[in-house]
Amino acid sequence: MKKVLLLVLVFSLVLSMFAGCGLGKSGYELALVTDLGTIDDKSFNQGSWEGLKKYADEHKKTYQYYQPGEGTNAAYLEAIDLAVKGGAKVIVTPGFLFEVPIYEAQKKYPEVMFVLVDGEPHTEDYATYHTEKNVQPILYAEEEAGFMAGYAAVKDGFTKLGFQGGMAVPAVIRYGHGFAQGADVAAKEMGLAEGSISLMYNYSGDFAASPESQARAAGWYKAGTEVIFACGGAVGNSVMAAAEAAGGKFVIGVDVDQYAESETVISSAMKMLGNSVYQALEAYYNKKWEGGTTWVLNATNDGVGLAMDNAKWRTFSAEDYNTLLKAVQDKAFTINNKSDIGVTDLGLTYVNITEVTD
Amino acid sequence: MSTIFFLIQQTMFFTIPLMVVALGGMFSERSGVINIALEGIMIMGGFFSILFINVMQGTLSGQLLLILAIIVATISGAAFSMLHAYAAINMKADQTISGTALNMLAPALSIFMARMIQPSGVQQIQFTNTFRIEKVPVFGDIPVIGEMFFQNTYITTYLGVAILIISAIVLFKTKFGLRLRACGEHPQAADAVGVSVYKMRYSGVAISGMLAGIGGLIFVVTTSTNFNANVAGYGFLALAVLIFGQWNPYRIAGAALFFGFMKTISATYSSIPLLYNLPITGYFYKMIPYIATLIVLVFSSKKSQSPKAAGIPYDQGAR
Repeated sequence: MKKVLLLVLVFSLVLSMFAGCGLGKSGYELALVTDLGTIDDKSFNQGSWEGLKKYADEHKKTYQYYQPGEGTNAAYLEAIDLAVKGGAKVIVTPGFLFEVPIYEAQKKYPEVMFVLVDGEPHTEDYATYHTEKNVQPILYAEEEAGFMAGYAAVKDGFTKLGFQGGMAVPAVIRYGHGFAQGADVAAKEMGLAEGSISLMYNYSGDFAASPESQARAAGWYKAGTEVIFACGGAVGNSVMAAAEAAGGKFVIGVDVDQYAESETVISSAMKMLGNSVYQALEAYYNKKWEGGTTWVLNATNDGVGLAMDNAKWRTFSAEDYNTLLKAVQDKAFTINNKSDIGVTDLGLTYVNITEVTD
Repeated sequence: MSTIFFLIQQTMFFTIPLMVVALGGMFSERSGVINIALEGIMIMGGFFSILFINVMQGTLSGQLLLILAIIVATISGAAFSMLHAYAAINMKADQTISGTALNMLAPALSIFMARMIQPSGVQQIQFTNTFRIEKVPVFGDIPVIGEMFFQNTYITTYLGVAILIISAIVLFKTKFGLRLRACGEHPQAADAVGVSVYKMRYSGVAISGMLAGIGGLIFVVTTSTNFNANVAGYGFLALAVLIFGQWNPYRIAGAALFFGFMKTISATYSSIPLLYNLPITGYFYKMIPYIATLIVLVFSSKKSQSPKAAGIPYDQGAR
C-alpha cells in the first residue's frame, strides 16, 4: 500500500512539472528546439539561435527556445510538442539529430513550419527520405568551404598540408575533396611546379579525441606538415593538442569559428548557420516558402565561408578573401562535390596526395 | 635518429595511461575483485581533474596545477570505485554487472554534471595545456637518453614509472601485498589467519580507483584540448594489458610498452618513409597487439597466473 501511494505521489509530482511547462504565456511565434547543446554552445545551436533572434528582433516577432530533457528522439518530439503548444508557427531545429524527429513531426503538425538545419527528414533506419511541404531542410556545400580553406592555406605560403577527417560521411568527404581542390587551384595560379604541394589525407573513422589521432597528427607535423585541416568533431582537439606540442604548427577548424579552442587555429571553414536560418524565416514571411525541397546553401547565398575575424593568416588578407569569395560565388572554379569517389580520383596535378588508410 | 626519438616520445603518451590503469586493475583483481569499471573510473577521474584545471587555471598553471589535478583525480577515482566495492564486496553482487553499470553511468553522469556546472552549459570542458615539458633541466641535455626520455614530455611519465616501481614493491615486498594476494587466491585461508578479507578487498578496489582516475587525467591531458566524457576505450584496453601482463607489474609494464609501441606505429607509420614504403597496410599494425594477446592467451591460459578467487564474492561460511 505504501508503495502504491509512493508511486502515485511520484507520478503526480512529475505530471505537475510538465503541466508547469506547457501553459504559461500563449504565443511565441518563432521557436528553436536545441539539440544536445544549449543556445550558447558556440556551435550549431548558437549559430541558428542568432539567426532566429536577428530576424525576430528586426521584424518584431516573439520568439522562444525549448531545450529537450535529454538527447533522444522522444525527448526532441516532446520539446517540439511544447513549442507548438506555446504557439509556434515556425520551429527551427539545428543539427542532423533532428532528422528522425522531424520526419515524425512534419505529419503530426502539418500547419507548423519547420526549418531543419544541416539535415533531411528520414526514418530511423535511413530507408525512407521524405520531406513534407511544411519542412525546409537546409544542407551546405561543404566542398566550397573546404575549397576556400585549401586555397587560402596555399596562398598563405603553406606547401605541406594535411587533412584529418572524422568518419568518412559525405559532409566530411566533401570538405576534404574541396580542400585538396582549393590547394590545387591556388598552386596553379601561383605558378608553382606540379606536385609541389603535399597533402597527407586521412579519415580517423570516429569523432572522438584519441591518442591515435594525436600521434598521427604529431607524426605529420614532425615529418614537415605545416597546417592540418581538422574536420571531425573532437578529432580536431587531438590535432590541436599535437599542433600545440609541435610548436609553430597550425590547424584549420571546421563548421564554426573554432579560434577559441586553441591558439593554433589559424582559421575555420564555416557553415553560416545564422544566415541560413534568417533566409528561411524571410522566405516564410515573404510568402516564398520552399518547403518540401532541400536548400543546398553555398558561397553564392552566404551559406559557407571562411572565418576571417579571428584568423591568423600570415599574408592572406581580408581583401584576398573577398576576391576568393567573389570568384567562388561567380563559379569561376569547377569544384567536384562527388562524395562516392576517392580523393586521388580527383585527378589533381599540383597536389601530391598521400592517402593514409587506417 | 630523430624519428626514433619521436616514436619513443609518442609511445609514452600511449603507454603510461595504459600501464597506470592496468596496474590499478591488477591491485583490484589480486585482492579478488574483478574490476571492469576501469573505463568508467578513468572518465570520472578525468572529469573531476579537468574540471579542477578548468576552474583553477586562471590562478595556477604549469606543474603545480597538474600535481593538484592528479590529487583530485586520485580522490575522485577512489570515491567512484567505492560504488563498485560496495556492490561487489558487501552486497556480493555479480562483479561484471556492477562494473558494467559504472561504465555506463560514468559518461552520462559526467556529461550531466558538466552541463549543470559550466555556465556555458556545454558538455566539453576546455583546458589550456601548460603542462608539457620541452626539456627537463640537466637530464634533457644527456645525449641520446636525454632526447628519448627527457624532452617533449609530461611529469606524468615519471609519475607512471614511479607508480610501477612502488606497485611492484608493495605487491611483492610488503605485508600488505602478501595479504592482498592471499585474499585473491584463497580468502578463506587468509581469513583463518586473521586477515580481514573485506578490508583487503576494499583497499584493492580503492587503489585501482586511484590509479584509474590518474590514468584518465593523463589520457585527456596528453591527447586533447578538452574533456568530452570519453577515454576512447582505453580502460578496456588496459584490461587486455592486464591479462597480457599476467597480473604481474613488470609484465604489465612490458605489455603496455608493447601495446603503446604498436599503436604508435599504426598511427604514425604514414610519416615514417621506411615503414610507409613497406607493402603492409596500416591495418596490420593495428591488429598486432590484439593478435599477440590472443596468441599469449592460447599458450598461457593453462598455467594462467590469474588470481584464483577473482570474481567470486567472499562468503565466510563457504568451505
